[in-house]
Amino acid sequence: MKFKLLELRPLRVGTVVVATLLVAGWAMRPLENPAWQAVRSGQPAMKLDSLQGALGQGVTVGLLGGFRAIVADFFWIKTNSVWSDNDLPATQTLIKLVTAIDPRPLYFWQNGARMIAYDMPNWRIVGAGGYDVVSKAAQQQIEREQSAVALSNLNEAFGYHPDSVLIYVEMANVYLNRLKDVASAAEIYHKAALQPDAPYYVARIYGELLRRQGRNAEAYAWLKQLYPTLPKEAKDSASGRQPTAKPQPSAAEIEMAMAPVVLERIREIEKELKISKNQRFMP
Amino acid sequence: MGMTTGGVPFSLTRLLIVAGNTFTEAVRQKLFNFLLLLAVALVASAQFFREFNFGSSELKFISDFGLGAMVFFGSTLTIAATAQLFFSEIENRTALTILAKPIWRTEFIFGKFLGVFAVLGVFCALTTLLLAGLLCSRENSLMALHPDAFPGGRIIHYGDLMAMGMLQWLKFGVLAAITLLIASFSNTNLYTVVMSFFMLVICHLQYLAHDTYAQVASLPLRLLVRLLGYVFPNFQVFNLADQVATGVGLDAGVVLRVAGYALAYIAVIGGLAVYSFRNREI
Amino acid sequence: MTPSASPVAIEIRGLTKDFPLNLRGIKLRAVENLTLSVPEGRVFGLLGPNGSGKSTTIKIILGLLEPTVGECRVFGVPSGRVDSRLNVGYLPEAPYFYRYLSGTELVRFYARICGVPRKRLDDRVKEVIDWVGLSGAAQRRVGTYSKGMLQRIGLAQALVHDPRLIILDEPTAGVDPVGSAEISELILKLKAQGKTVLITSHLLAQIEDVCDRVAILDRGKLILEGDVNELVGQRDRQALIVDPLSPEHLDELRGWLASRGHALNAVEQPRARLDQLFISRVSRSEKGGQK
Repeated sequence: MKFKLLELRPLRVGTVVVATLLVAGWAMRPLENPAWQAVRSGQPAMKLDSLQGALGQGVTVGLLGGFRAIVADFFWIKTNSVWSDNDLPATQTLIKLVTAIDPRPLYFWQNGARMIAYDMPNWRIVGAGGYDVVSKAAQQQIEREQSAVALSNLNEAFGYHPDSVLIYVEMANVYLNRLKDVASAAEIYHKAALQPDAPYYVARIYGELLRRQGRNAEAYAWLKQLYPTLPKEAKDSASGRQPTAKPQPSAAEIEMAMAPVVLERIREIEKELKISKNQRFMP
Repeated sequence: MGMTTGGVPFSLTRLLIVAGNTFTEAVRQKLFNFLLLLAVALVASAQFFREFNFGSSELKFISDFGLGAMVFFGSTLTIAATAQLFFSEIENRTALTILAKPIWRTEFIFGKFLGVFAVLGVFCALTTLLLAGLLCSRENSLMALHPDAFPGGRIIHYGDLMAMGMLQWLKFGVLAAITLLIASFSNTNLYTVVMSFFMLVICHLQYLAHDTYAQVASLPLRLLVRLLGYVFPNFQVFNLADQVATGVGLDAGVVLRVAGYALAYIAVIGGLAVYSFRNREI
Repeated sequence: MTPSASPVAIEIRGLTKDFPLNLRGIKLRAVENLTLSVPEGRVFGLLGPNGSGKSTTIKIILGLLEPTVGECRVFGVPSGRVDSRLNVGYLPEAPYFYRYLSGTELVRFYARICGVPRKRLDDRVKEVIDWVGLSGAAQRRVGTYSKGMLQRIGLAQALVHDPRLIILDEPTAGVDPVGSAEISELILKLKAQGKTVLITSHLLAQIEDVCDRVAILDRGKLILEGDVNELVGQRDRQALIVDPLSPEHLDELRGWLASRGHALNAVEQPRARLDQLFISRVSRSEKGGQK
């Protein structure tokens, strides 16, 4: 009997090891699951089928193994190198690839869109003979095409960064700077300004874009409603130093809010709208 | 584990003596020299990223590559050092002289483990500090150059970076325990190293078994896939903070759970290594 | 269990050890039904050719291997238990040790493993290193030691916790005659201190000088056991060593013996043993730490 057991020793040890690991793996789920959920929630699902063609097997394993960030970084560096060669198809493909591998960094979306919307029209026009040769209409056509690609990419970004202010701003800028479409730009800036974490300048620009369209009354209403929300230099008021519940805004924040500039704009609009002195906005 | 029989109680002191000796061996075999290489590589890559005008995102690149290097070199160090420090005992027959003393095999195996774990701790601490230093100095200069890119102040979560260093250390601990378990029954260093790397990959991909199990049609096969998923620890839970530069901060509760997960696995796998080693004829 | 006249250090009964060679049940029998006891305070030689099961037996005594059948006790404690090794010192065959430690660090390490109290640690380490004659090389890395020095540092680590039983596995293998003579000397010193020494060797001549009792193994089986004097002493013979005799005197002697019923069986020239000649001519200065 004892002889039999001994001969099976490696088998016995192996069985005990596997069985113990199995029980341990099952028993440790309460420890594993919350952490795994946290890791998972930070990692958008990977569209592997769209990637597999572009990547080697080793890279795919690396991706699945949790090294998305660094693989994406590698491909971004590659993107930069093809970009500096003005290689349009490669750059465009790599931007797609990088954002598919790791859609988390906004940087990839923003800079990818900029390359597509601002640099590529230039490459195409130069490639077609230069600004003197290509007709204005053709140039605009090229710009519209590239802007469409950039905007569609940025729209895709919302899938991973819902209501991201920076993506809104990026889109609005394409409308504004490339397509000269002030109305669409204003609309998107408005959406951006409504987000709770929107930087102060977004609301200011929205007001500015309304004015540019001649929608002064709307701009006036917007800025009047904006001004009281801005942090301002604490005026040495008569009330003295009262302990306030809210933390004091930092100097940098006050500077970025630019409350005096907003007030100045309000006054400008009041002048344009010929609002009487007693009707004027009183902060 | 049969620690009650015999007149010699289990001794933490003896365990620590073995650990100390293992650590000394690692130091005197100049295992740490390659840290210097890693440091040079990190500094050089950080320098390289300056070429690109990434702006504040340069910090993301530095931290991604830094953590990547830590994971890659750390995993290599873990497997190579554990296998080497174990097999040098077997091959030089020093295991015979130690185990012929009044010492438990539990003390020997966990002593070996603790020695390697200390080596890995030094590695992780130094790499993390170096990376933090690199990031901090670059962040300072970038903040001076483009203040508007840092509207909310610093963007690197240094606390998260430290937590990440610690989590990697714990993960390496689990990997070292796995390597010891493999070494406890394998005959050669090479086999141990190859098998351990194989296990490392499986533990990183283990979650796929859970993911696909629902899609497997046949019931027995589905059960098998599910069970397989439980046999291997999930190494991806240690990736909690892979976005140190853009992350939203770590939940301390989750970090503690992961730490508990690692320590529990170290205990279980270490115990299995002892069990398997007790059955080894040396 | 079995009460015997003198106390017993090692008691082996019905010991068989098989090594499975594969999963289909083919096995190698290294030791077969061995029964042996080593009395306390004696130098016991376990002899036999290579592969006769000596090292396996020793590993079982040390608890490094488990017996397949049978039992082995050391000072009455089953050899699988940790406390059976409390009073045992072991020098393995061709030891290597931790090359990166100095001699002192190495012995200190083993002393701490064996639980030598901290306040006695330094003194004890120095004492055994002196005792094996390595004090001059104590601060050198073990990696730089010669084979003979390795044997001696190995002996030092085996003795550092002052064990009652010392097991030496092929202590003279690969050591030059000067070195092995020194080891023999040390073994005799241990015996004088009342220690039990178990020593294995396949070089029978060397062992003969130091052992009180021997057992000879062949292919895992015990083929002979007994006191050295009983085994090799020829009680019906006697040797006389005299100055050279002339042929006439030799004839006279033969006649004198014949008249008393004895025969002169052999006349030969006694020869010094070569190793003794070697030892008397070779200087001892090469040995590190030798005063």
